[in-house]
Amino acid sequence: MRTILKKLLQIPSVSGREARLGKYISEEMRPYFDTVETDALGNVICRKRGEGKKLLFCAHMDEIGFIVTFIEEDGFLRCAPVGGIDLHAAAYSKVVFENGRVGVLIPEEGVKPEDYKGDTFVVDIGTKSREDAERLVSVGDCFSLESQLFSLAEDRICGRPLDDKLGCAILMSAAQEAASFQNDITFVFSVQEEVGLRGARTAASYVEPDFGIAVDVTMTGDVKGAKPMAVSLGKGAAIKLKDKSVICDGLLAKKMESIASEYAIPFQKEILTVGGSDTAALQLAGAGCRAGCVSIPLRYCHSGVEMADYKDVQACRELVRAIAQTKF
Amino acid sequence: MKQNWTTLSLLEELSCTFGPSGCEDAVADSIRSHIAMYCDELLPDPMGGVLARIRGTGMMEEGAAVSPRRLMLSCHMDEVGFMIRSITEEGLLKIASMCGSDTRVLAGRRVLVGNAAFQVRGVFGVKPLHLVKSADRGNALDIDELYVDIGAGSRQAAEEVVRVGDFGTFESDFVSFGQDGGYIKGKALDDRLGCAVLCSVMRRIYEMESRPACDLYFAFTCREELGISGARTAAYRIDPDYAIVLEATAAGDISGTPEYRQVAHLGRGGALSLMDRSTIYDRPFTDWILETAMAENIPCQIKQYVSGGNDAAHIHKSRTGVRCAAVSAPARYIHTASNVVAKKDVESIEQLLMAVINRLYNEKK
Repeated sequence: MRTILKKLLQIPSVSGREARLGKYISEEMRPYFDTVETDALGNVICRKRGEGKKLLFCAHMDEIGFIVTFIEEDGFLRCAPVGGIDLHAAAYSKVVFENGRVGVLIPEEGVKPEDYKGDTFVVDIGTKSREDAERLVSVGDCFSLESQLFSLAEDRICGRPLDDKLGCAILMSAAQEAASFQNDITFVFSVQEEVGLRGARTAASYVEPDFGIAVDVTMTGDVKGAKPMAVSLGKGAAIKLKDKSVICDGLLAKKMESIASEYAIPFQKEILTVGGSDTAALQLAGAGCRAGCVSIPLRYCHSGVEMADYKDVQACRELVRAIAQTKF
Repeated sequence: MKQNWTTLSLLEELSCTFGPSGCEDAVADSIRSHIAMYCDELLPDPMGGVLARIRGTGMMEEGAAVSPRRLMLSCHMDEVGFMIRSITEEGLLKIASMCGSDTRVLAGRRVLVGNAAFQVRGVFGVKPLHLVKSADRGNALDIDELYVDIGAGSRQAAEEVVRVGDFGTFESDFVSFGQDGGYIKGKALDDRLGCAVLCSVMRRIYEMESRPACDLYFAFTCREELGISGARTAAYRIDPDYAIVLEATAAGDISGTPEYRQVAHLGRGGALSLMDRSTIYDRPFTDWILETAMAENIPCQIKQYVSGGNDAAHIHKSRTGVRCAAVSAPARYIHTASNVVAKKDVESIEQLLMAVINRLYNEKK
């Protein structure tokens, strides 16, 4: 799974620009599924037909980033955030474009941190004029903070964008056991989650599942100054009960808990008071479905140093596999 | 049945028609009377939109870069406006919701109040400067402090001509002006301009001898300015795989705006969106439209700022997803009584749409 994760981190996928990652994932998933399709918005939809209920698992491919909106005469680029960017965490960072070109993201001189807005930032790619810059980048190109991954003490991993390439890696790893899946199973690698849960909605409308389960990261209550929250790094897979966008289906959440207990997979219950997830889009698409979420506890979400405990990642993978193997 | 109209004469007629969000019937009637003979069928729309279909041959080329089965061309009929919330003892009208208009642009303006069939004149009341406390001078008014004066002496007199729940919007002339008469000023050019262009496109297609390769659906939608969006239900009914939204966007090429926030420029053609607050547009489709414009030498620009949102917000997420592009007419001072657009942009946008549809003709078989 680490190898899969590393590979995913190398392919940029700012919201709306997931095509390259989608193509890679499609190729990798083809051996394990009956059909692998890409829909109008770019969701990768992998289906293994089977008896019984229709289960949909969904992890989002997109990461937060920026889009170039204008090129200044002196060669600086203007940009706008794509998704929930924390500009304080992004200031003075190295950024990488889809074509590999690099630059640095800099706030305008004299702007106080409390006044940071997308408008007050520029990208310096080293060019001296608009003409020079236009040879290297165009309006509409996307970029993000440099991707990275490194290990810390206690089996903890750190880098970006773990949100939600961890979820994608978990699904891709679980797919290797697709032969043993019960039910009718669809894995969706969705687009545009970070800008408003847009891809999961159309994918679920297409699949019309009985149960929809997102696999995404969640915040934790074990960092300094955190709001009270009963999720900690290292305590296992988090089973979502509620976030700002959704109240999960009670029966499905109970079923997930009992499956985790049955397979001795460590788990914790998650109630997130900020942020939403594809779970909401799955629940309301089409005529609706019973929706839940396997969440990966993550510290410092949306920064360049997102941190997870590898044991939790493994627990989430085991839980996804166990759910897929349980007859619904 | 209306004949002998041009895009600009129709734009004038539509601009002067009363149609704030939620009260688009007069606009819809006018559009129907202009296009009914240029389509194969009109689809029902309980939201009040006008949905028209021109059947294609279904002979799209397999594997072409862009090969829609059903292409939806969408614009919105509504304009920014307000609703009468209550009537005071003195016969003054208190209002709700201006759909994103700045209250500074309302004071002293002429308005019409009523329904699709009947309106009365009024003005937005404003205290003359010498009655305004010095501390309040220069401040924009809160919407709760504004009122419309229809010249009624009492609540009873007012209630004889308007009711709570009636609609209102600017009353504003449609005027050609500027260098070579190249500019237009009027209300509701956002998005009656899109409506007028789509009507013209329908007529031009209908007058061609052959049929388009794919089915074309023309949607004139309601309530875009409120964000409630009749486009959502229209897209659900039409179930398109591709859509182009025709809009108006705020042109910031005016004094005091830094270059990078100017969004779009008058006279440089329709502005194609890459991303706004509610949609990331389909890049290959947008690039294909840009290529089409370049190949035909049609002026066209890229919208250079992330701002606003339009009906694409709902269309692209409809059902199993729709590949969306948006072409916007650059318009100065949108959401005021005096929108300003360049006539040649109207022409460029119509040419661009025709070029896109012609390319779909040519890619058949």
